[in-house]
Amino acid sequence: MRMAVTGVGVALPGADSATALAAALATGRHPGGAVEPAAVLGKKGLRYKDRATQLGLCAAQRVLTDSGLLADGALTVDGTRTAVLVSSNLGNVDTVCRVVRTIADEGTYGVSPMDTPNASSNIIASEIAIRWGLKGPNLMLCNGPASGLDAIRWGAALLRSGRADHVVVVGVEPDNEIARGLVGGPLVDGAAAVVLEHTEAAEARGATVRALIGAHTRGLDVAGTIGELAEVESEPAAWYAPAAATPSLAAGLPVHDLAAVWGELSGALGVVQCAAAVGALDAGADGPMWLVAGTDSDDGVATLVLRPPVPAGVQPAAV
Amino acid sequence: MRVPIIGVGAVASVGRDADEIFAGLCAGRGGLGPMRGFDSGLYNGKQLFEIDDRPEGADRTLRATGFLLDAVGQAAADAGLGDDLSGVPVLVGTGLRELRSAELWWRDGAPFGVDRLHFGTALRERFGTADTLTVSNACSASLYTLALGADLLAMGEADTVIVAGVDSITESMHGLADRVQPNPPTALRTLDVNRRGTILGDGAAAVVLRGEHVKWPGGRLWGRLRGVGMTCDAKHPTAPDPEQVAEAMRQAHRLAGTRPEDIDMVMLHGTGTPLNDLVEITAYGEVFGEAAGGPVLTGIKPMTGHTSGSAGLMSLVTTLQTMATGKVPPLVNLDEPIEEAAGLRLVRAQEAKHEVALAQVHGFGFGGVNAVAIVEGS
Repeated sequence: MRMAVTGVGVALPGADSATALAAALATGRHPGGAVEPAAVLGKKGLRYKDRATQLGLCAAQRVLTDSGLLADGALTVDGTRTAVLVSSNLGNVDTVCRVVRTIADEGTYGVSPMDTPNASSNIIASEIAIRWGLKGPNLMLCNGPASGLDAIRWGAALLRSGRADHVVVVGVEPDNEIARGLVGGPLVDGAAAVVLEHTEAAEARGATVRALIGAHTRGLDVAGTIGELAEVESEPAAWYAPAAATPSLAAGLPVHDLAAVWGELSGALGVVQCAAAVGALDAGADGPMWLVAGTDSDDGVATLVLRPPVPAGVQPAAV
Repeated sequence: MRVPIIGVGAVASVGRDADEIFAGLCAGRGGLGPMRGFDSGLYNGKQLFEIDDRPEGADRTLRATGFLLDAVGQAAADAGLGDDLSGVPVLVGTGLRELRSAELWWRDGAPFGVDRLHFGTALRERFGTADTLTVSNACSASLYTLALGADLLAMGEADTVIVAGVDSITESMHGLADRVQPNPPTALRTLDVNRRGTILGDGAAAVVLRGEHVKWPGGRLWGRLRGVGMTCDAKHPTAPDPEQVAEAMRQAHRLAGTRPEDIDMVMLHGTGTPLNDLVEITAYGEVFGEAAGGPVLTGIKPMTGHTSGSAGLMSLVTTLQTMATGKVPPLVNLDEPIEEAAGLRLVRAQEAKHEVALAQVHGFGFGGVNAVAIVEGS
């Protein structure tokens, strides 16, 4: 059974769709602007949610709408069969650090009980589940530089194991003083999301297949992981990879480095890469796209291949 | 599904390895003590279930990482895998990652970097594996990773998987709870009418899973994982809800091909908060119906504290030891059970002798993340 991307949601500074994301990436310059969650979600209920949760909700709303899982404010599929995976490394680090400083300065009377849910790192994934009644497996991945592609891999695993029929994968990182201090520079302050489904499920509900999910690998370094990929996948048409990984990639092909445009993407990277690659495929770019998150100086490197959907009218050979 | 469990490891306030912890639990010996790592002058609740690893007194970074490496190393050794785990995926469930280190970095200027917020960096350094996963799923995290590990084996992506859970207490989590507890609990009293809340603990636990159809030269078989159900309440960020807690139990039985009446023991999540215990026992009663009086019920948190992300696997490791020995640790501090638990076979006061062939292990967490595992003895 093949798995597909059937929706993309983008809530990045200066880009609110896969098309806008791919276009901004092509210019190589930050498009300017900032994500304003109240404009996307309405003001109600946002007050005590941290920035990462708000950004994640924006991308989730857009991907649910784009994929058709949400129509007229209601789910069109069974919420108990819909999983949520969110990838973020810095998500709630600001809340945690702020609270511990407040306790040191003022004692516990200085802290707000409204921060309690945000002290748990999975707040982003649970708020997305709560807002739309998504009761399937709910996972918060905080897995370092490769975390975003790991989220796609494990989202696909939930489909393969039959634990879910629809998987919402979100990558998000907030920008704030504390997160900057930890990573050494400004962060994206945005989010992206994709919906994954089996092609049969997509077909059954009349959804559009935007990309097919190919092989994935995870290993110690870039050369090794893409070498493994080359054993099972046809040559890439383009790369989505961090600049530091470029020396290990086959030369002569476009390499899209999202951090060059939006700053540090950390745990959001792999999901934003997927969104950008689908945006490019939507616009008629050649595939397959090979995605790389993590570099030789990180704890691990993850890769993923996205293939163009089979064009309408072309029937795949019977297996 | 019958996934062999071929190695276990754990560290907690009550013991430095799985055997020492189990001996302590059976003896009714808890690990609650005066707060060591935080300034007790700042808090109403001045007791925690900490691992006593700071003889110098002052707190330090990367304690959770150390606990994790310890538990994973124990489990790998128990399974005869040694210290080279290259090619072995290690999936870690945690509530608080290395957020305690981030606190010390921000507040005190302790050296710390984003590369150690998750556990992949240390696992690679120590064991050589690059296929690692840090899942931050609150208090059911390690049962969630247990499910992922079993799925990975079933899909044929690995022959052997190590699943682990870990947490060291963060001051922010303790402080936020303390803020709303002017009269904090002095003991963790699962299912007691006078329970007043939970108390956090440090801990790590790990198990080694082997693919069902993979030949291996033998060694110890602790038991077999039959199934793990996982659901999300999608109701409230911190308060649990019985509907999806019950569904996680039903799902686990569906996946395992078992029925409630087959269960000999239930290892409760049992945090000792008024709401958790009520929701858990209500959902249990609903799912088990007339079979509710069958299994014995116990839990370890009154003695280990709430070890958050490691709690589910800590319960699983204890369950496997119960299966091996026929000894069931008691729910200490349970003087007067709540009305909803009337008629249930609660193990109280002291260890019970009970043959357990099939057990159900609970883990529920903030965000309404629920996981229930069913395990059978060897």
